[in-house]
Amino acid sequence: MSGASAIDVDYSQQQFSVDGEVVTKGDWITVDGSTGRVFLGKVPTIQPSLGSDFHELMKWADKVRRLGVRANADTPLDAKTARGFGAEGIGLCRTEHMFFGDQRLAAMREMILADGVGAREKALEKLLPLQRGDFIGIFREMAGFPVTIRLLDPPLHEFLPNVDELLSELAELKMGLKQAKTMVEMDHLLDQIDEKRNLLDHVNKIREANPMLGFRGCRLGLLYPEVTRMQCRAIFEAAIQVKNERKQVTLEIMVPLVSVNEELKQQADLINDVAREVMGEHGMKIDYMIGTMIELPRAALTAHKIAQHASFFSFGTNDLTQTTFGLSRDDSGRFLPSYVDRKILADDPFQVLDSEGVGELVRIGAERGRSVKPDLKIGICGEHGGDPRSIAFCNEIGLNYVSCSPYRVPVARLAAAQAALEADAAEAKNKQATKQAA
Amino acid sequence: MSEAILEATETIDTNDESPEQQHKWVYLFEEGNGDNKSLFGGKGAGLCEMTRAGLPVPPGLIVTTEACNAFYDNNKQFPEGMWEQVVEALAEIEKKVGKRFGDSKNPLLVSVRSGAAFSMPGMMDTVLNLGLNEETVQGLAEQTGDLRFALDAYRRFASLFGEIVIGVAHEKFERVLDRFKAQTKGGRDTDLKPAELRGIIAAEKEIIMAEQHAIPDDPYEQLRVAIAAVFNSWMGRRACDYRRINRIPDNLGTAVNVQAMVFGNMGANSGTGVAFTRNPSTGKKELYGEYLLKAQGEDVVAGTRTPNPISQLKKELPKVYEQFAGIAQLLEQHYHDMQDCEFTIERGKLWMLQTRTGKRTGAAAVRIAVDMANEKLIDRKTAVQRVTPEHLDQLLHPTVDPNTDAQVLATGLPASPGAAQGAGRFQSRRSRRNGQRRSQGRPGTPGNQSRRFPWHGCGSGHRDRTWRNDKSRRGGRSRHGKDLREWRLGHRR
Repeated sequence: MSGASAIDVDYSQQQFSVDGEVVTKGDWITVDGSTGRVFLGKVPTIQPSLGSDFHELMKWADKVRRLGVRANADTPLDAKTARGFGAEGIGLCRTEHMFFGDQRLAAMREMILADGVGAREKALEKLLPLQRGDFIGIFREMAGFPVTIRLLDPPLHEFLPNVDELLSELAELKMGLKQAKTMVEMDHLLDQIDEKRNLLDHVNKIREANPMLGFRGCRLGLLYPEVTRMQCRAIFEAAIQVKNERKQVTLEIMVPLVSVNEELKQQADLINDVAREVMGEHGMKIDYMIGTMIELPRAALTAHKIAQHASFFSFGTNDLTQTTFGLSRDDSGRFLPSYVDRKILADDPFQVLDSEGVGELVRIGAERGRSVKPDLKIGICGEHGGDPRSIAFCNEIGLNYVSCSPYRVPVARLAAAQAALEADAAEAKNKQATKQAA
Repeated sequence: MSEAILEATETIDTNDESPEQQHKWVYLFEEGNGDNKSLFGGKGAGLCEMTRAGLPVPPGLIVTTEACNAFYDNNKQFPEGMWEQVVEALAEIEKKVGKRFGDSKNPLLVSVRSGAAFSMPGMMDTVLNLGLNEETVQGLAEQTGDLRFALDAYRRFASLFGEIVIGVAHEKFERVLDRFKAQTKGGRDTDLKPAELRGIIAAEKEIIMAEQHAIPDDPYEQLRVAIAAVFNSWMGRRACDYRRINRIPDNLGTAVNVQAMVFGNMGANSGTGVAFTRNPSTGKKELYGEYLLKAQGEDVVAGTRTPNPISQLKKELPKVYEQFAGIAQLLEQHYHDMQDCEFTIERGKLWMLQTRTGKRTGAAAVRIAVDMANEKLIDRKTAVQRVTPEHLDQLLHPTVDPNTDAQVLATGLPASPGAAQGAGRFQSRRSRRNGQRRSQGRPGTPGNQSRRFPWHGCGSGHRDRTWRNDKSRRGGRSRHGKDLREWRLGHRR
């Protein structure tokens, strides 16, 4: 909410006041975004409940919509929530989020800091069972529905501590050294200092000026094929286990940040190798599709080439918006709101898909992709997947599905139905107009 | 550059219709088309539709949204011919009602209200009893045989005109009223005697004088100023903010409704109220609303007296209740949607003052859509279109209990569904970010995954905005209070 102008904020005193009522740091307030009210204290809230009317209405909506609705879900719990809201599969499962648990992060860091392939593979072995376990949980929840798993995407430094923190920790350790009482304690501190220094060296080594456009996505998978191999092994082993439980697994493996068709081809070769290997070991066949994220303008423009190696496209419209506008979302806060205020842009393009520019790339990508593969499955998985106006655009250009956060799924189902109804009404009107003209 | 502007203005001038065939800026209710909300505004369109359907609506006129846009194109001057058309239409209303505007014996009084195609906060609200001055108030007293009533109408007009047209803070008038009420035996506004009412009127005029303003004596001048004030409020800061957030274009303009007054405070069998044709918070099919006897419109929302639930009207004025229930049903059948109606009862006669599509909670929207489809009032496809994504959002997020009696600190513009609570922190954006990082520790904290990677982060300053101390964005305190009152009415129980 905005414009609660009765509130007088005093940063220096760490408080705000309204008509003499003073709220200081640490006092609780409740903000009601639906009505714009600010309450003092913790006001009881009503938890959402979805009654029979809601389900009835959703049924009617599902009957008229043409777009499929999937969810972005990274954990079995997300998957379960998404199914509860009626998601027809997972459109984006981000594997990197599985590496952030404490135990997992340590193994991940070991992998990143490893010298050479051998050491890296050893670290990856520790990650394999963890990742496989996650996939098993997700496949079980999504039995019978497609699951699109995206291979590792973010730059590696995301998994390492940040430089400022390391520097201050180092400084603290050095201070501790002065106060060390025993030699043992001193040795221990020195070891820690060495370890931190080592880590700092590594962090500095892989530090990038612009990580968003750096060593990430399929670039990682191509240069560190063992990472892709481990992930695919985890995926196929999990699929086999769940299939053995007599549950249907519909697997789609997605290669991120492709800009050149050769990137996808080489990654696909690798995925197919691992698939053959694992299936051979278990004497079982798993159906799977390989596809790619289209999140770079070059990929959209060369979609007809990329489609030769892909069975599906998923437009990652967050990154596509960044790379089309040449605009980093995280740095946009300083000017984007003013752009909207001054009507330079009608909307924040990260909230509402810019149909004129970014949308045009989506349209081109879809057309060129389907020109070589008419049955290419196409969806979007950016945050736009839950925005009603962006959904209307996806409906208009004939995408197959949208994918959004689990809690947005009902909204997307409704918005997809409304988009279809509006399109039908517009078409009927057009027909009538041409009839009258004739 | 300036030449180009001159040229452009000239082109606009030559495009205007010739003086013989002047553009129509003003419509009587019976001339208007109820489907044309963009020209007549939501309120005006509803009044036209009800008038044409033969429902009891006090006669009135609408100055169109086109006139509002022309006002802005014309350096904030009324477009040519508009005022003459207002005066002409007013003469028609005089004929119908049998009273004359500004007449010292038998004066016609009018209400002036804004009415955009979409209802929005921050727009100029209602001015009642316009047309009163020291002379006509005597006429009103003779006409009704009730001096107290006439003076009460005058003091209401003075404070409304002062607050809404001139922009004096509501509290200043409220304080005067409270002071005089405290001197009476009963302490209520109905206990005020003519002498005290005269005192209030004088004090109100003084308040306005202190702000270097005055209420014009000439009723036509009052009307002219009030219409301009409605137009001006269209570009008020708060209305602009609201439109920006709700993506309503600035060039729609607002219409102005000028309507013959009917009085809900003319004795025991008079009253005023508002009602929804279905419960707006649950969606249940029932007349849902409130009314007050011996009261004028603003009393219901002002909170000075506690209104009664509409069901009680069935006992107090059964015939009126039956008629109103019938009209409510008729309106719902006609519009195929839940309606939000305003009515006034003047000496036992029911008058409809407004009907519009009722605002509703997410839960109510879903239930009403499904119920109406099951009642065959709408088809299922229409039902699907009746529920907005925002409505569903309300169902999917924790919300503040509408029954809460918790203390409201402040009110801003609603921008996202659901409620959030937390302990106050006061930090600039940069330092807050760093602090957050430290307190969150490493990646691995559960929560919104998209925040973890800087290029996926949401990076918006919205939270800052809530806390920002920005004096230019402030609305008057009275406006703020008014919104709270409006809210309470809509969401009671």
